[in-house]
Amino acid sequence: MLMVIAAQSFAQQRTISGKVTGNDGNPIPFATIQVQGTNTGTTSDENGNFSLSVPGNATLVVRSIGYEPQEIAIGSQSSYNIQLASSTKSLNELVVTALGRTENKSKVGYSTTTFDASQISANAPISVLDNLAGQVAGADISTLGGPGSSTKVVLRGYGVISGGSNQPLYVIDGVPLADNRPGAIDGNVDFGNGISNINPNDIASVTVLKGTAATALYGSSARNGAIMITTKRGSEGKLKIEYSGSANFSRVGRLPKLQNQFGNGWGDEFILSENGSWGPRLDGVMRPWGSIVDNSQLVKPYSAIDNNIRNFYTTGVEVTNNLAISGGSEHNRFYFSYGNVSSNGVIPTKTDYLQRNNFSLRTNSNYGKFSINTSFNYINRKMNAPNTGQASSSGGGVFESLLQIPVDIPIEDFQLYQNKFFNVDNYFTPYAENPYYGLYENGDQQSSDRFFGNLDLKYQFTNEFSAQIRMGGDFENSRTLSWNQPNAPQPGSWNGPNPTNPEGQSRKVDPGSVEKLSQYYGTINTDFILQYTKALNDFNLDVMAGANYYQNTYDRTDASITNLVIPGFFNLSNSEQPPVATENKSRRRRIGLYGQAVLGYKDQLYLTGNVRNDWSSTLPIDNNSIFYPGASLSWVVSNTFGMTNNTVSYLKLRAAYGITGADPDPYQTYSVLTPADISLGFGSLTSPFNGVSAFGVSNTINNNKLKPIMTREFEAGAEISFLGDRIGIDATYYHKISDGQIFPVSVDPSSGYTSLVENLGKVRNQGVELSLHVVPVKTNNFEWSFTYNFAKNQNKVINLNGGLPNPLLLSVYDAELRAVVGKTVAEIYAPTPQLSPSGQIVVSAETGFPLVNQTPDTSDNNMTKRRYGSALYDYTMGISNTFRYKNFTLDAALDFRYGGVMYSGTADLLNFVGNAYNTTYNDRRPFIIPNSVIESGVDGNGKPVYVENTIPIPVDDYYDYYYMTKNPAMAYDARIFDRSFLKLRSVNLSYTLPEQWSSKIGSNNLSIGIYAKNILLWTPASNYMVDPEATNEGNDIEGELGEFRTSPLEEQFGFSLRATF
Amino acid sequence: MKILNKKLFIATMFTSLLLLGMGCKKQLDINYSPNNPDYDLGNPRIVLPTAILATISKVGGDLSILGGIWSEYFTESTVASQYRNYAQYNVKSPDLNAVYTRMFADGLKNYQYVISKSAEEGDWNYYLMATVMKAYTTEVLVDLYDEIPYSEALQGQANLYPKFDDGHTIYVSLLDSIDVALSKDFNASTNTDPGNADLIFGGDMSQWIAFANTLKLKMYLRMINKYPEDAEKGIKDLYNSGATFLTTNAAVTNFTDQDSKRNPMYEQNIQQLNTPDNLRASTTFVSWLKANGDPRIVSFFGKEDITSVNQGDDNSNSEGASTAAVFVEKFDDPVVFISAAESYFMQAEANLRYNVGTPAKETYDEGVMAAFNDLGLDATSFIASGGRYEFPSGGSMDDKMEAIITQKWASCAYGCHGIEAFFEKNRTDFPKTSPVYSTNPNYIPGQIVVSASTVLPPGQLPKRLQFPYVVIQSNPNAPALVPITTPVWWSK
Repeated sequence: MLMVIAAQSFAQQRTISGKVTGNDGNPIPFATIQVQGTNTGTTSDENGNFSLSVPGNATLVVRSIGYEPQEIAIGSQSSYNIQLASSTKSLNELVVTALGRTENKSKVGYSTTTFDASQISANAPISVLDNLAGQVAGADISTLGGPGSSTKVVLRGYGVISGGSNQPLYVIDGVPLADNRPGAIDGNVDFGNGISNINPNDIASVTVLKGTAATALYGSSARNGAIMITTKRGSEGKLKIEYSGSANFSRVGRLPKLQNQFGNGWGDEFILSENGSWGPRLDGVMRPWGSIVDNSQLVKPYSAIDNNIRNFYTTGVEVTNNLAISGGSEHNRFYFSYGNVSSNGVIPTKTDYLQRNNFSLRTNSNYGKFSINTSFNYINRKMNAPNTGQASSSGGGVFESLLQIPVDIPIEDFQLYQNKFFNVDNYFTPYAENPYYGLYENGDQQSSDRFFGNLDLKYQFTNEFSAQIRMGGDFENSRTLSWNQPNAPQPGSWNGPNPTNPEGQSRKVDPGSVEKLSQYYGTINTDFILQYTKALNDFNLDVMAGANYYQNTYDRTDASITNLVIPGFFNLSNSEQPPVATENKSRRRRIGLYGQAVLGYKDQLYLTGNVRNDWSSTLPIDNNSIFYPGASLSWVVSNTFGMTNNTVSYLKLRAAYGITGADPDPYQTYSVLTPADISLGFGSLTSPFNGVSAFGVSNTINNNKLKPIMTREFEAGAEISFLGDRIGIDATYYHKISDGQIFPVSVDPSSGYTSLVENLGKVRNQGVELSLHVVPVKTNNFEWSFTYNFAKNQNKVINLNGGLPNPLLLSVYDAELRAVVGKTVAEIYAPTPQLSPSGQIVVSAETGFPLVNQTPDTSDNNMTKRRYGSALYDYTMGISNTFRYKNFTLDAALDFRYGGVMYSGTADLLNFVGNAYNTTYNDRRPFIIPNSVIESGVDGNGKPVYVENTIPIPVDDYYDYYYMTKNPAMAYDARIFDRSFLKLRSVNLSYTLPEQWSSKIGSNNLSIGIYAKNILLWTPASNYMVDPEATNEGNDIEGELGEFRTSPLEEQFGFSLRATF
Repeated sequence: MKILNKKLFIATMFTSLLLLGMGCKKQLDINYSPNNPDYDLGNPRIVLPTAILATISKVGGDLSILGGIWSEYFTESTVASQYRNYAQYNVKSPDLNAVYTRMFADGLKNYQYVISKSAEEGDWNYYLMATVMKAYTTEVLVDLYDEIPYSEALQGQANLYPKFDDGHTIYVSLLDSIDVALSKDFNASTNTDPGNADLIFGGDMSQWIAFANTLKLKMYLRMINKYPEDAEKGIKDLYNSGATFLTTNAAVTNFTDQDSKRNPMYEQNIQQLNTPDNLRASTTFVSWLKANGDPRIVSFFGKEDITSVNQGDDNSNSEGASTAAVFVEKFDDPVVFISAAESYFMQAEANLRYNVGTPAKETYDEGVMAAFNDLGLDATSFIASGGRYEFPSGGSMDDKMEAIITQKWASCAYGCHGIEAFFEKNRTDFPKTSPVYSTNPNYIPGQIVVSASTVLPPGQLPKRLQFPYVVIQSNPNAPALVPITTPVWWSK
């Protein structure tokens, strides 16, 4: 934990040094050591060492998160070994709050959760938040895909339906960090987001501020809460070299469960060229399979292949290396680090590949009353992301190709994708591509350079008054290239024109494509802050006032070609048709003034008040001001009543109310012209036409009365410790209203326009968060502790005045994700069968297939589709256990999320092609839809009369039952299921070598660890398909719909080594 | 740092804050999109083409398909289903929303923008072009929906719930607006040459004047059933003023074989749709072409010896139905607003009714010739004495009208113009509605039949479209839905 403290000169200074350790003997890095009653202090380094210049008769106060603070009177010695007792109570914990301020936790009137370096990087994650998933009550944290993919963080539920993101603000050393997702072109590739490429080994602590009251000082950007990140810094003393490294092996995690009774074919017939398992029953008899080439054909037994899809995947290898060099003198300290990640995921070839280099240099200098701290960080990243989702006309998703290979056809054999039986001409089916072809011939690659950092200048006028300027910037340039090789099956081949396959079906020509995307993101943020502290008898006053300037710039250029002329030449010049080029730029600017006052009374009562006013460029220029206040109260009851020795040793009550106002996205206030792009039933008519450039008035009415989205939140909570701090409880209730959602509302086109950007409606999130920390056993050599957290959030759309009552957010085929008034922001709908008055399924009198319900549900906005339920979890909980025996530490973390439904595109394809486990219903023999009726006519009153259905689904139409275009009424039951899961996030075992051993290699701290991550996954019986965390629909609300044939997640095993010299 | 005393520091700070405050407004006035030109930067030259593209996107796209099916040139294939609901007359409020949306938002709003801008600039060329096209586009919507917002339309946020005006009132306003535009000075120095921004006549204003007059003639003729006196006066005034009428097609023809630059019906039905053979020859049209030995059968269906589908006969097992000829489309097919043939047929009707202009036979003959000429064919032998399409000079008024409108019907199969034949059927009742289906031995070739798969009450044909869902949903002033079998105001 770093405190920005200017050392002051006093007479009779002398330098002392020391080491801070815990009661387990392990060094405590980043402990703060402060001379009592002054602002003089330092932090311990990675190994707990510190040195500090102190006046003669000083008392040191040593603090670290998770430990009891300790006061040490300075005697004549020059070296001190300070041992801190671990603490479960939050009395003197330090937390980082808005603007990077370090506060004593007891002063804070809202919920905070803090993690230190050892928790963040215990098992060599490549992203800062990997180890926090499931560990913060009220924070939904997930990683969505393979190495380098995006991290999703939602704090206290979705509050923003449209017109902005629900991701939190990330703040590094007091400066907001950009959280961009470059290259996420169409949702099929994921190159990660801003937070996912920060080096976790550089981080000293992470504090999660979930509530609006906590983050209001950050203004607009922090409406969804904030993640405060503090980086490691150098400390006074000799040069230190720290190394950490890991080797990590991954294998593919959850894969769908397939049926193993029926093989290649369709409609109960054995058909060589079919991409499905709707063929005859598998009998193990040797049969020819695949294409006939040169009058020859391959032969194999007609039986299911175990682990067919799993065998496609390889062992992923990930190696990380981190080297940090730090040190400093009394006035200057520095920290330099280099981190390297080389990761090749479980997909064969380098299709899922990440190469990342992180460099950081940070300095802290002071001279007299002036101090300057800097941080420079550079990230160079090269990444290949797998193309997931649906195949486009110019290339396909790997996973989609895998899923439609019949269960009896050996996928691994296709690796020889240029072999005459498996190549473009003769791959066994014309309906899909050899999965290895795409791996070798197509790709999506991104290179990016990112620089972020800050300059922090401070002048301490007196002990009470200081002024500070902090300038931060985050700049990223990314270049994304997507290429697809052109191919065309030869005429007269298995798949070519005049095909020789038994169905006479030829494969579409793939014209090939190249797309080149260049993106620049630039954020600058400057704060000017004045601080004043005053102690008056029993009262203590902290006042702060500041001004903020923020600017965010985005510039995107995209060019693409199709119809490549020369295969293998992926350049924009390689087409007969002109490239299509587009550009998009945006800039947003905000100016803010803010102030905060904290009034403390006798270390027991703290009242904080804050105000901020923002002026935003994205609001109408004449009404661009947003004002919002907040207040919080913290009462350390145990101090008031002197309860330190009671059963309840610590009790703090807190309450907070805060408002933040968020500005809209840019360019929604003035009317513009748009290039002509007139959609037809299919296709379009566009400018230029007939040699003239054509523009028209935009069909969206931009609104010069647009207002900010205001989020108002109340929270109250308590922190209690019992039994000598062996049990600690932190409980919170919150109630948050996000008002004035910005939506384009459909308007009558007779007005000349199709939509109006408008503020409407409210979303409420309310819930409880509970965390419990228990130390059941605590002896000198052995300690067992566990933490448990629970969170329940209720999300409700209160109203959407003037807009649709149930706006559509995303649809996949006929499955829809809607925000619904009276329900949540993420409700899943899909077609449902028509029911008779007695609740029986009405089927077609001709086909025996269920009819789709057309009767509007008047209680649900006249929807004819059925509401399957909310996609949001009912509640979440996490448990982590830590066992320490001497120098061994073992910990394990479980993450449990319950409730909600999801749509699976993987399930969709597997049901369509007959590979899914559930497609053997009734042994694939004809059956009558259970509990179904036929409308036979009408009675005297014109009411329909129903009779029992006697029409079976015939064997050759059996597959249609599982196909959503043929049986939309019932197909979605197999595609929408419970998204609950229980995951064993991590198991880590580490051992710190005794110093007498480590010193033999010159190290004063050497530890080794082995770990496993995401190794066990439990899902309800209805989900035998996918890991519900994986999605390729992005890291915001839309992602809650589910997944569309995305890559499976990985399980990881590895070992790590840490050494300090 | 000693010189920086506290007071000076605070003074400096407040001064900076003050400066910051003053600079604020300028700093923050940046919400002008760099991605799109500002509203005021538009001019008639760039906006008019957009509006025309919007009109052809629907008149020559969805409406061409719908009109072609309802005029029974073609029908849905028995082995595909894309347009089955059209063939079944199963077109409801949620269907075809895009017709209304695109024509209003992309079309009429932009025509109005051009009208306002060109009036400001005194550029009467653009003023006339936009006025005529706005009138044409509005008229199509009125003819489809009977009543639409007009007087309160196109005002954006100023009026999000425009009231609906009745069709006749709108017609009168449109005719007035055309008169105003025609009265402008086309020799004024403020006029500019539209050149290729005029997608229809390449800037030839005399053609636009003829187009304006022909459109007026068409609108007056539409009024003959309900407002015969107004129609008569309007048409007589038109002739008395020495109006010129179209002798060439008013059409967009500049399509090229590139994505998004092709004929809209071709682009959506052939290029982009996965099944390019939905639209198959209808027995109604084919029986008529065959009965008359009309060579246009080759132009429309590829060859003479073809089979066809009886109109709307979804599950037909009759011979040749599944291999019925596909309606021929090309990327450079024109989208016709008013064809030369149509212009002549209207003049023939005007002469017949009011004895104005050239004798009906002459203009009728020119109409048939022009219709054949569009397809590179010669109709001389057909209109000659004893020819299949000889004008029934000795026949009754009804016979003559039937001849004219039937020929107009046949001519509208060209140029994505089917919706016009549908309107004319509703105005004149020609071609006649057959009392029997086209499979019946007593069926008279060319007579309109009721679709075999109709969802309407027996014997009924569609007469209009229902107000689109986008309107019903968002405009409280939208009238109640009317069945599609209810005739519009000008219907016979």
